[in-house]
Amino acid sequence: MFKELDPILHSQLRLAVMSLLISVKEAEFTFIKEKTNATAGNLSVQVQKLKEAGYIDVVKEFKDNYPNTTCHITQAGIKAFEEYVKALQEYLKVGQNK
Amino acid sequence: MQDEQPLSEQESLALITQMINKAKCDYAETGVECLMWGSIITLCSIISYSGYLTGNLYLDNIWYLVFAAIPLQIIISARQARRKKYTTYNDDAMGGIWISFGISILLFSFYDHKFQPPSANTMFLIIYGIPTFATGFARRFKPMLIGGIACWLLAIASAFTPFPYIMLYGIIAAQLAWFIPGLILRGKYLKAKKGNV
Repeated sequence: MFKELDPILHSQLRLAVMSLLISVKEAEFTFIKEKTNATAGNLSVQVQKLKEAGYIDVVKEFKDNYPNTTCHITQAGIKAFEEYVKALQEYLKVGQNK
Repeated sequence: MQDEQPLSEQESLALITQMINKAKCDYAETGVECLMWGSIITLCSIISYSGYLTGNLYLDNIWYLVFAAIPLQIIISARQARRKKYTTYNDDAMGGIWISFGISILLFSFYDHKFQPPSANTMFLIIYGIPTFATGFARRFKPMLIGGIACWLLAIASAFTPFPYIMLYGIIAAQLAWFIPGLILRGKYLKAKKGNV
């Protein structure tokens, strides 16, 4: 029986954000925007969805008198990401054996 | 990048790999600190050595330049931290290692000044090698790995080298451990910066 792929992670932009955040301790919104080539509006919506799922934490503060948003992955996010990759590997294994 | 675009399993894995590589390839190291310390230690070693050769021991005070460079280092670190858009777990570990190195060097300089132990140069070379090797190892950056090993090899060689030639090892160590890796880091940084424009 296959595990269903996590619908929160199984979307292009959210998966890209999680893959970036899994590689670093924390990252600014502008860094994520630059690396994913997403628009600020779209990225904001997806970051909010990940936050609501409890996969990332978002900290808003001031840096050099400008508002600055920083994101970091949570323990729940790391677990969800690992399970997602495991499930993907299962699907791919079956695909190769066919 | 769009959000709701459907992804196949292969595409998902490819995207994960691509994003992880993008984070890895973001060169944030400017190489400035390495170049600065490589230059300062080289300069101090040369002047100190020439002072010994000419009998002008007053020139040994050039080592106070190291203390003058500490505020500069703090400013550079603060500016880089402000400019950096992300932090890695490695950054914390590296910061701890280099702060420990700075404190160890200051304490050993004090110990050397007060007690003038034999083979102080050898001890300095051993200490130089520790953070250099650790940084090269953690960041998988070969030039610093080689630099760290070179410091330890020079420390061994210094045990068999008569004074004052032993003073020249400081120059070689500063070049191999910091100046040359600094030049390589700087080149990579400028190349990456050019690519992002």
